[in-house]
Parts: sequence; C-alpha cells; structure tokens
Amino acid sequence: MNVFRLALRTLRREWHLVELRTLAASLVLAVIALGVVATLSTRIERGILASAAELIGGDLGVSAPAPLPEPMLRSARADGLAATRGASFRSVAFVGERSQLLDVLATDGVYPLRGTLEVRGADGRDRTARGPARGEVFLDHRAMVGLGIQVGQTIQIGGRDLHVAAELVRQPDGGELFALAPRALMNLDDASEAGLLSLGSRARHRLLVAGPPAAVATWRARVESGALPQGGELITPEKMQERMRTAFDRASAFLRLTALLSALLAGVAIALASARYARRKAAEVALLRALGTPRRRVAALLVTTLAALALPAAALGMAIALGLAQGAWYFARQLFDNIPTTLPLGPAFAAAAMGLAVLAGFALPPLVRLAEVPPVAVFRESMQRRVRRFDVLYLVPLVTAIALVWVQSDSAKLAGILAASLAGVAVVAALLSALLLVIARRVAPGAHPALRLGLAALARRRGLSLVQATALSLGLCALLLLAVIAPSLLDGWRRELPVDTPNWFALNLQDDQRDEFARSLEHMGATRTNMMPLAVGKLTAINGKPIDSIAFADGEAKDSADRQLRLSWSAELPPSNQVVEGRWPGPSPERAEVSVDTSWRDRFHLKLGDTLSFEVGEGTLDARVGSVRQVDWSSFRVNFFLLLDPAHAGELPHTWLTSFYLPRGHADELAKISREYGNLSLIDVDALLDRVREIVDRVGSAVRWVLGFSLLAGALVLAAALAASAQERRKEAALLRTLGATRAQLRAAAACEFALLGWVAGLTAALGATGAGLWLGKAVFRIEHFVPPLWPLVGAAALAALVVMAIGLFGTRRVLRTSPMALLREG
Amino acid sequence: MNLRVAEGESFAIVGASGSGKTTLLGLLAGLDVPTAGSIRLDGQPLESMDEEARAAIRRRLVGFVFQSFHLLPALTAEENVMLPLELEGDNGARERAHAALESVGLGARRRHYPAQLSGGEQQRVALARAFVHRPRILFADEPTGNLDQHTGEHIGDLLFEMNRHHATTLILVTHDARLAARCARSAELHEGRLGVPA
Repeated sequence: MNVFRLALRTLRREWHLVELRTLAASLVLAVIALGVVATLSTRIERGILASAAELIGGDLGVSAPAPLPEPMLRSARADGLAATRGASFRSVAFVGERSQLLDVLATDGVYPLRGTLEVRGADGRDRTARGPARGEVFLDHRAMVGLGIQVGQTIQIGGRDLHVAAELVRQPDGGELFALAPRALMNLDDASEAGLLSLGSRARHRLLVAGPPAAVATWRARVESGALPQGGELITPEKMQERMRTAFDRASAFLRLTALLSALLAGVAIALASARYARRKAAEVALLRALGTPRRRVAALLVTTLAALALPAAALGMAIALGLAQGAWYFARQLFDNIPTTLPLGPAFAAAAMGLAVLAGFALPPLVRLAEVPPVAVFRESMQRRVRRFDVLYLVPLVTAIALVWVQSDSAKLAGILAASLAGVAVVAALLSALLLVIARRVAPGAHPALRLGLAALARRRGLSLVQATALSLGLCALLLLAVIAPSLLDGWRRELPVDTPNWFALNLQDDQRDEFARSLEHMGATRTNMMPLAVGKLTAINGKPIDSIAFADGEAKDSADRQLRLSWSAELPPSNQVVEGRWPGPSPERAEVSVDTSWRDRFHLKLGDTLSFEVGEGTLDARVGSVRQVDWSSFRVNFFLLLDPAHAGELPHTWLTSFYLPRGHADELAKISREYGNLSLIDVDALLDRVREIVDRVGSAVRWVLGFSLLAGALVLAAALAASAQERRKEAALLRTLGATRAQLRAAAACEFALLGWVAGLTAALGATGAGLWLGKAVFRIEHFVPPLWPLVGAAALAALVVMAIGLFGTRRVLRTSPMALLREG
Repeated sequence: MNLRVAEGESFAIVGASGSGKTTLLGLLAGLDVPTAGSIRLDGQPLESMDEEARAAIRRRLVGFVFQSFHLLPALTAEENVMLPLELEGDNGARERAHAALESVGLGARRRHYPAQLSGGEQQRVALARAFVHRPRILFADEPTGNLDQHTGEHIGDLLFEMNRHHATTLILVTHDARLAARCARSAELHEGRLGVPA
C-alpha cells in the first residue's frame, strides 16, 4: 500500500487519540491567532500608512526642481493610478499697501488624492474641497490676518488678481513643521501663466499618485529604478517628518509585538502537543519495525501522517482567521473611517505557513528520530527511550523559534529583547519549579493529606511538571505583556503629549525683543515657554578637509552637508536629550565643542575628538566633537542635530526660537503680536499634535482589538497545555480510585497541584513581564520614565494563577468521573 | 448466583474469556454495583453505598493485583508502592514501601521506573503495593496472565506466601488451572452461573 494511503488510514484510526486532536487543535489555534493578528496588523498598518498618505495627499509622490516629465504621468495613469500635479514656491501677496510672504501650493482640481482639504467659506461653515478653480485662492488664517482681509476679497499674487474663495483650515501638508510663512493654495494653471513656475522661481514641482497598493508598488519600483529626474526625490508616507515617523514606528512596533506574542503562545502549545504525540507513537513504531517495515518507510509514514493532519488543520485555521479578521474589521472600521482597505490574504497564508513551520520544527525531529527505535523495543518499553543522542535535527525547533521571532518582529532589537526575556522566564520558571519539587519532597510527609497528595502528584510527574510550569509561565508572561504592559506603554506614550505640550513655535525673534515678547506671552496665558538661540550656518570642513573634497558614499550625507544647518547652544543638556558618548561640556570648555546627534555621527562617521568647521554669517567656528547625544525626536520640544557650547558660540549671529503652550482660541491675539513684530514667524503645531494623539488613540484601539483575540488564543493555549497531562491523570485517578481514594481527596490534591503550578507560573510571568516591559519601554519604544504598573501586574498574576487552578480543576472533572472499573477492563 | 467467601479463605474464579469473570471481580470489590442482587463485603451491603463509601471500604479493606500490573510509569517502584499509604495519610509511607519491596526481593531496585523492570519484577512491585497497607481481602485479576510459565509460577508462589503471611482473604480470577488449584476453593463461571470446575 502506498505511504499516502497508509498515512490517511493511520490518521483515521488515530483520530480518537487525545494527542492527535490536541495537536490538530493547537495548530488550528496557532494559525488562527497568528492569522487574525497578522491580518489585522497588516490592515491597521495599511490604515496607518493610508493615514500617513492623508498627510501627503497621495500614496506616493515625486518632487523635482523642474516640471516632471509627461511620460511619468502617463505611466502612472497606465498603471491604473490617479495622479495630481502641483508645485510649491514662495511668493509675496499684496492687498493695497499690505504685503505678506506666503508659502504657496499650486495644484490642479484633482488635489488631494488622499486625505481631506478642509476650507471655511464666507458663511463660517467648514466644508471639504478640491484644489481651487481658476482665478481662486484659499488662504490660511495667518495669511488673512497678515493681509487684513476676509473671505470674498481679492488679493494679488504674481501680478494676477485672485478671489479669496475660502479660508484654508486643513490641508494634506506633509507634516512639515517649520513651514516658515503663512500658506496659500492656488490653481496650477494660474501659477504657470503668471510665470511663477518659470526657471529661477525656485519652485518645487511634484506629482502625487494614489491607487491600489500593488500598482503603487509597481510604479514606485519603476521610478526608483531610473525614472527619477535630476534633483528629484520620492515623497513617501514613510519618509515623514521626524516626529510623525517616530509615532508610526512606535505604532507598528506595538502591532508587531502583539502578533509576535500570540505566535509564541501558539508555538508553546504546538511544542507540548507534538512532544506528547511523538511519545505516544514510540510503541507503534517499534511494532512496525518489528513487523519488518524498513526505517525509511517508517519515517516517510510518520512524516506523511503528520502532513495529512497538518495541511487541513492549517487550511481550516486560515479560513477561520480570515473570517474572524473580517468580522473584527467590520466592527473596528470606525477606527479608520474613509480609508478603504481590502482584506489582505497574504498574512493568513503566511500564518498558515508559519504554523506548519512551527509544527514541523517541533514535531518532526522526535518523530523522524522515532524511525530509529529498535524493533526489539516492542518487548521492552524502556528501549524506546534510547533514541536520545544529540542530533542536528533537534536544533530545528530552536531555529524555528528564532526564525518565528525574527520574521514576526521585523526588528532585531524587539526580537532580541523578547527572546532574552522569555528565555529568562523559562529559566526562572524551571528553577522555581525544580525548587518547588525539592520542597515538595521534603514537606510532603508532614503536610495536610490533600497538600501531600498534590505535592506528591507534582513530584511524581517531575518532567511534566517542569515542562508545564515553564510553558504556563511563558504563556502567562506573553499574556501579561499584552494585557498589562502594552496598554501601560501606550499610556506612557500618551502622557508624553500632555494637554500643555508646546503647541506654538516662534521663529526669528531678535535679542532685543526677547524680554518683551516673553512678557506678552505670559500676559496671554502662555505656559511652558522655552527659548533657544538659533544660528543658521553651513558645515565647511570635517577634520580640516573641505566638504567639497569629501566623497560621500551616501546621498543623504551629501544632502545634509550641502544644506543650511540650524545650530544652537545651551549650558544645560536639554530635556529629551541623552549623552551616549563623551560628556556634556558645561558652560565654558577651553576649546569650542559641538555635541552631535547619533544620526549625524552615523551619517558622517564621526568620532569623539573630530573637528567640525562651520560658517555662520561672516564668521567661522571650529568645534571639537565632545559628545554624542541620543535625541528623542518625538518629544515635541525644540531639538537640534548640532549643539554648540555657549561660551564659544554665544557671539555667533543668531535669532531666538521659542516654544510655548497657548490654549486654543488665542489666534487673533497672536496674529496681532506677529504684526507688531514684523520679523516674527509663528508656527501652530496643534494640527500635528492632534495627528500624533490620533495615531496613539488608533493604535490603542487596535491593540485592544488584537489583545482580545490574543487573550482568547492564550486562554485556549493554556487549556491545551494543561490538558497535556490529562491522559496520565486519568489513568492515575482510576488507579487511585481503585485503591480507595475519595473524590474529595483527588479534587483537593488536584487543586493543590494546580494552585502551586499557577503560582509558580504567575510569579515568574509577573517578574518576566515587568523586566521585559522596562526593557522594551526603554530600548524599543523609548518612552521616558516608564514604570510598569506594579499592582495591576500583581493582580493579573494572581488572577492568572486562579485561572490556571480553575482550568486545571475543570479539566479534572472528567478524570474524577473515571470509573475504577476501567482499569480492570483494560486488562 | 450465590457465593460466600469466608475470612481467610482463598477462592478462584475460572472461566472462558468473556464469561464475565472480571465483571464479577469488579462487583465483588465494589468497583461497580449490580443492577440486581446484593453483595456484602465484610458484612456491609455494597449496592446501597455510593461510590465514595465504597472507595472508603476499598481503601481500608482491599488490595488489588492486575493482569497488566497497572504501575504508574512516571513513578519509581517505591513510589508506586507508597500510593495506598499516601491515600491513608501514612507518615512512614516510604519506610513501609521500602520494607514491602524488600519482602518481594526488590529492595535494591526500588528507585527503578516500571519501564526499567521486567514483567515479573513489575508484578512483584504490584504485589508489594497490594499488601503494603495490610488489606484484609486481596482481589487478583489474572495475576500471571502476562507472564511466562516460570515467572508465573514464581509470582504464584509469592502471592500465596504473602497471602498466608498476612492471613488475607484471596479472590482470584484466572485461566490458569494450576494456579486455581492452589486455592482452597474454586468455581467456574459459565453463562452467568457459577459451577464446580470440570
């Protein structure tokens, strides 16, 4: 008979075996958990990306100093993408005697492809709009105040009269924080005809596209592989302004963390079930070998049987996962309103493949090795255990686990921390339970009869108890990380942006205006005012070697070197900065010192003691790299890549940059101030703050959703882990019943046993989750002063211990009903 | 059927496979209750007791030996023997188990697991377990059924010797006519009736 048919027959015959069903159920569960989480995560990540796309007004874009070539537009349309063209430039608007420098975006009528353009009409009502029609312009509030006009009046830009059709409220703007001037939105053809886009106008032309993800990816690949014009660059949702990027990075790290943890939960269950199945098969393999089946055929049969079980189970898990993910999406849709995202199939397939890989990793090695069970073992059970020599095959589960962590996390740091924490939990759990077993042996003789029986039961199943305690600890730790640590990390993130986070920046303040401006702010009710000097300069040399003569391998480094730099100085290390190399110089070092951000160190391969030369206005400054800082760019404080020491930089030509918090509703007063200080630029970052807060909230909701599924999977996995010993327990209970044990005795013994298991697991898991939480908070999410919530952790661990006991007792109900007659019937 | 086994007596039930020997043994030991009729163990009517009360009687009065030994694989020989004592809450369980194993000649192998013992050795451990808490009645279900003739005879010797030594009432189910013949009395179960064996 061929192996496949024999395998199917074996499977049909063995289907009643608890081990086999547990194995199949664990695999289905694993695939469901992985699939639901991965599908939801992908969708949410797409949602977040789409939400980032709202910020740039399209899924992808290209910007260049010259008009973008027509073939590029045609190829986008040919790929099935919608496209919009535009250009940004600076121009001065006039109304009578008044003038105002504006940041102008000229667009066609299709703009924006993603996100909403919100304007306020003369009637004071907000509405969504498309790019302005010919002869029309939208101005933001600052521009209106600056020019002293209302909606409905006319202004002049580039010599053309434009009707102010509405006030610009919100536009997909790329999240650019330091847009210096008020904004205007006008028609692209008007701008072109007015000569505002001619050569020398320094206009930046751009093309934005939007459409199905695959088409966007195709177009992107084509553009990246050579269609990019000179001086052109891609505008991508990922390449966001630094603060937003941190928010997105954190958001996806959160989702990956939840997916990874549920994957690990599932892995634990599969490992337990497959080890049990392999043990169960040993006798059968010995019999097959004794009956003359060749070793290779036995191995083939085992592998095929496993495959015949696993493939349908994985397919079933995948189908259920997709169904659940679709259902969850239906309810979670309001999180990402207006963003159409189709059900991604990829993650569910990946989850099925991963589930199969885990199964293969954990189940195949012991099964394949079973083929080496000597035929003579059929007579002597102990010989089945001889197949224990070290074999490279046993590395497969380890490699599988590592690969799983790697693939799921997509981040070496996240994976490393989780792996190390969970390994720590496993070791501690094993040590604690070993200790418990030693105590059990010592204490048992004098203890209460129920406790004695419970302790004896734990001690009897030494190996299994160790495995169970370790598996339970790992599972509970994963659950605690998901249920307690993740929400608390999110809270920490939310707290970083308290209500009074500075929401205004003022640029260009002169030395002699500082005090008066500060008083005006205080008068208005502004708080958290912080002023930093700001000098604009250029990097001219590194270690005496002129920048022009340095060949930068990295285009970004060259761009940074060419750009104008914002320099500042401070006697104190600013908050949200951390010195990671060297030391902070103090107020007056002997030689001029510069402290660089880690990204600058890496970009220019700098080390302590290197000399950077700057040109600021008419003067120059050579500064030694005295320290390297890690800057938290998500902090919404004023931060700089380069900080000089005040003793040497204080005399450089500079202005002041001020950040402060001003409750909403003071825009008119601020506009008045900005007219009084003609040179002052005021920047409102409320919209950006709102965006980040919105992302935190969305991720929070998403994590709660994912958590729901992971908790469910986790609970089922825990139950599966506890069921691992059910068979042994049943047989033991029947024997003990025959020997005269009462149900109460067995129940009390089981309660003691599971309570002890539960407490070991709960305690270890709480310790592990606290450690991992602290580590993750610091290293991955960079949330300052993150304190894991102690009492919720202790409470959750205690609850988990109770749940373990309850599930354990629930699982013994059948065992207690086992008739002692069963033993006699077995022979 | 009517059957009465006196205290200290040894009684064998023989019969073909499927004749109901094991069912009868289970009923006599209080593992199950009859749908009709009455069974008294040590004067107490089993059919009117619930499972808990029957368990208490078993714990106090009864020892068991099974055809396939029924030792718990995760326990050492000594721990297997300790089980009935642990159920009684005996503080000297280990010492008594050790002594019981010595009495069946397995003192040196007390730390071994069932899988590391031969069939005969496993049944000796089972005998030690059956007698360790000094039961007044021993039920043995085909105690030599899984053993070769020589080992079976040895186990039979041991069983009867311990039975004598502890003055236990013995009820034995077996195929083995020679083993049955060593009992003071025996009966054949055939189509639900007990008769004198041919």
